Amino acid sequence: MASFLKIALRNLFKGPTTDPYPFGETFVPKGLRGKAKYNAAACIACRMCEYVCAGGAIQIREVADKSGLEFILWHNTCTFCGLCEYYCPTKAIRLTEDYHTAHRQEDKYRYVEKGFIKYVNCAECGTPMVPISPELLQRAYRQVNREIERLRHLCPKCRQKRALR
Amino acid sequence: MTKLLSKIAKRSPWLYRINAGSCNGCDVELATTACIPRYDVERLGCKYCGSPKHADIVLITGPLTARVREKVLRLYEEIPDPKVTVAIGVCPISGGVFRDSYAITGPIDNYIPVDVNVPGCPPRPQAIIDGIIEAIKIWETRL
Repeated sequence: MASFLKIALRNLFKGPTTDPYPFGETFVPKGLRGKAKYNAAACIACRMCEYVCAGGAIQIREVADKSGLEFILWHNTCTFCGLCEYYCPTKAIRLTEDYHTAHRQEDKYRYVEKGFIKYVNCAECGTPMVPISPELLQRAYRQVNREIERLRHLCPKCRQKRALR
Repeated sequence: MTKLLSKIAKRSPWLYRINAGSCNGCDVELATTACIPRYDVERLGCKYCGSPKHADIVLITGPLTARVREKVLRLYEEIPDPKVTVAIGVCPISGGVFRDSYAITGPIDNYIPVDVNVPGCPPRPQAIIDGIIEAIKIWETRL
């Protein structure tokens, strides 16, 4: 009897349990997997995200004028599984806590996350290549010295030549 | 009389749920949105109804499998106009992870005019409420 009264009293003072959401603030649990965010500056175009994407939402392709790569993530087939974030070596792709996904039918095919990686030219031979991001260097080397900094601006072929010299 | 009715109807659209071969994830979220006091969709004047003949806003989940296609289309025909269609989850919108499967005939907007999309796998109850609010806005213009 006493325990019952305790619960009844507690509920009396606690107020309604309804989340006030459309009219007020709501809570977001920590680590909620929401819409993905892409950072083109950190991306190295390894295409791992495209490969692991469960819903086939991610596409990386060369633009028509061959000036760079275009990253497209269509939110309408993304399942928020987070595999892209897990496998991304430079963490260029991150899931945010933004869960507001409702949109009208007109915007169905415009509901995308886009990014553009512009090719840079190799410092020696001038071949266009995907720029090597500082995030990758940090992951690959314990310390980035001047030699590595110089290699960073070379295309894979020139890098090989430099290494064999 | 019809003027009065359309004025009243604006404030209480009834929801109807169609499962077009869903995995039940989105259906659980829909049930959560409606039935547990925490998310209580009835604050918006909505109410789930059991018969398609009473429905105003249709919530569709699932990728429209080949087996249920005819039934879903027949059910959809039974819902009186005007109606607003909301696709819940990535499956009805694009096919989601089941896209390109032989058992899937969706995406659902090849067969049914969809008005609002709520992607997610499954979407949060709050996102579904967002979608329903969007649908109510469309519903008000159609009356």
